[in-house]
Amino acid sequence: MLSSLYHDMWLIRAFEQGLESEFEKGNVPGMLHTGLGQEATQAALAAHLEATDTYFPDHRCHGINALAQQRHRGDGRRIMAELFGRSTGVCGGKGGSLHSADPLAGNFGDNAIEGSYMATVLGVALAAKMRGEAKVACAVIGDGTVGRGEFHESLNMSAIWELPTLYACVNNGYAIHTPVGKGHASADIIDLARGYGFACEQVDGNDVVASHDAVGRAFEHIRGGRGPFFLEFKTWRWQGVFSGEFRPAEEVKYWREQHDPILMAADRLREMGWTEERLDEVENESRRTIAAWIEFAKQSPAPDPAKATSDVYVGFTVEAP
Amino acid sequence: MTTEPVVKKRTMIKALNEALDIGMEIFPEMFLIGEDIGEMGGDFGVTRKLWSKYGGERVRDTPLSEAAIIGACVGSAMVGMRPVAEIMFADFLGECYDQIVNNAAKLHYMFDGQFKASLVIRTACGGGFGGGPHHSQSVEGWFLNVPGLVIVAPSNPADAKGLLLASIESDDPVLFLEHKALYRSKGEVPEGHYTTPLGSAAVAREGTDVTVVAAMRMVPMALDAAEMMAAEGVSVEVIDLRTIRPYDADTIVGSVRRTGRAVVANEAPALGGLGSELSARISQDCFHDLCGPVVRVDGLDTPIPFSDDLEKIVLPDTADVVSAIRTAMAQPSRGKQ
Repeated sequence: MLSSLYHDMWLIRAFEQGLESEFEKGNVPGMLHTGLGQEATQAALAAHLEATDTYFPDHRCHGINALAQQRHRGDGRRIMAELFGRSTGVCGGKGGSLHSADPLAGNFGDNAIEGSYMATVLGVALAAKMRGEAKVACAVIGDGTVGRGEFHESLNMSAIWELPTLYACVNNGYAIHTPVGKGHASADIIDLARGYGFACEQVDGNDVVASHDAVGRAFEHIRGGRGPFFLEFKTWRWQGVFSGEFRPAEEVKYWREQHDPILMAADRLREMGWTEERLDEVENESRRTIAAWIEFAKQSPAPDPAKATSDVYVGFTVEAP
Repeated sequence: MTTEPVVKKRTMIKALNEALDIGMEIFPEMFLIGEDIGEMGGDFGVTRKLWSKYGGERVRDTPLSEAAIIGACVGSAMVGMRPVAEIMFADFLGECYDQIVNNAAKLHYMFDGQFKASLVIRTACGGGFGGGPHHSQSVEGWFLNVPGLVIVAPSNPADAKGLLLASIESDDPVLFLEHKALYRSKGEVPEGHYTTPLGSAAVAREGTDVTVVAAMRMVPMALDAAEMMAAEGVSVEVIDLRTIRPYDADTIVGSVRRTGRAVVANEAPALGGLGSELSARISQDCFHDLCGPVVRVDGLDTPIPFSDDLEKIVLPDTADVVSAIRTAMAQPSRGKQ
């Protein structure tokens, strides 16, 4: 199990670093938010999400999206191609990094208005409950989202209707530049969630085994019809802000050198007898895979111009220029 | 062999209630959601008796959480449900504006057609009942600039029923505006299931001298004005928009090209609203057929005051429509008719 999580974390890291490098070269349009540093949280969630479940990714979830696309649809390249705005992307280039979706992979799409899908997830969960399906409807949110009214509307409604909702709160310490303790009444989001009266848990989001086990308990709880679950992952994002690093040097050093989820997992694998060569091969294989995905994205054709005006409505057409 | 459909006199409230009842019978995936729509039957009684017939699972009361209500509609539509929300007053749409504009309306497009926002948002709008600044607004202008959204606005009970059933059956998100001042107005309503097509205006009264384009409460005012002008020998054509977005430009342009004179009647303030769009479209497409500028009837550029004495100053009425028609008729003829 740790072996496959280790592979998954490396795929995410290689994906994000490859993407970052292409972004710096000007090959990726728009904005870029990476999930670097949060690989354990993402790998843990992706390991439990079935194609028949639903998750709403946040803007740093390229990793979950790629894993779900690869695992459930057999082609993770289409997530990369979407970020390049190409016709082979999961949304044909219409969505991009902030709006990649493929319902057949369980991926119901990010919404760039942070927390907006805290309301949307209620509908998916409600439909599952009305139909008697043992599905999990998961919203992956950041700590910043907790400031939105929809966060509270959602937790309240999940509670009163006992919906099969998983709130996966990725507390990476900062909402852009604002520290979590400054933006919210508690730096531990679980303190705010507890008032709604359903199951809550907090876990070290960089410990991939602990995170994987916690997600497992949440899924078991929800699939067992016992209502919603709030799971807070304590983690840290590598990416600073657009102007660069703003956090204290000791903090950066701690998270990047002493509490890096991949280094932590590698230590455990060494204890289990893995050699350095074996560990390196996982990294190298991931980097080769991602290089091929990037090449696929770059070689893919641009969207058909007719797509600019297609699918505005189901029942009406919008005239092309 | 055709038989005439059974037609009964109904209020708009009852017509809407029938449409919801029929929709719930036809579509097992349909459900109703909103504040006090269940046992209470809604603030205006539009969902009356549906809770006892279909139960609390499908006629679902909610807390005061408008964003969550619309979010729940969008999410459930993403997995094939057909929700119909009630937002008690249109003025409250600000609370769920993001869910409508950034979520429901863009869903089909931004995810490349993989999801359909098959949902209806019913809401009570408009002035004339002393509701004050937060219970009286005409909100269509807030939403006109939102591609992907359908805005429906009936003026009479028969259309209200047919348009609501069409909205329920539609796979696009529909903002369904119910003017409060029309709720208790009565009209002939066919029994049973029928739909009135979305995106299609109705010629509410045929005429040859001047075209009045209106929606919702401005339609009965325009019809009253037309009746008054007929006594003076002026033949007024009244077009009832019925769908505000996307609107039926062909019917409007065709009519104005025939009559050569146009009045656009709108309850909301003039700036950046439905009246602006319609005037611009008519001016652009009918310029060489017009005897003079499009004449506009609008609400004043103010919030809606509470006092009845003040509210009637702010909102347009039949006399304003009559006055606008006279202005249009004073334009020199271009030799038409």
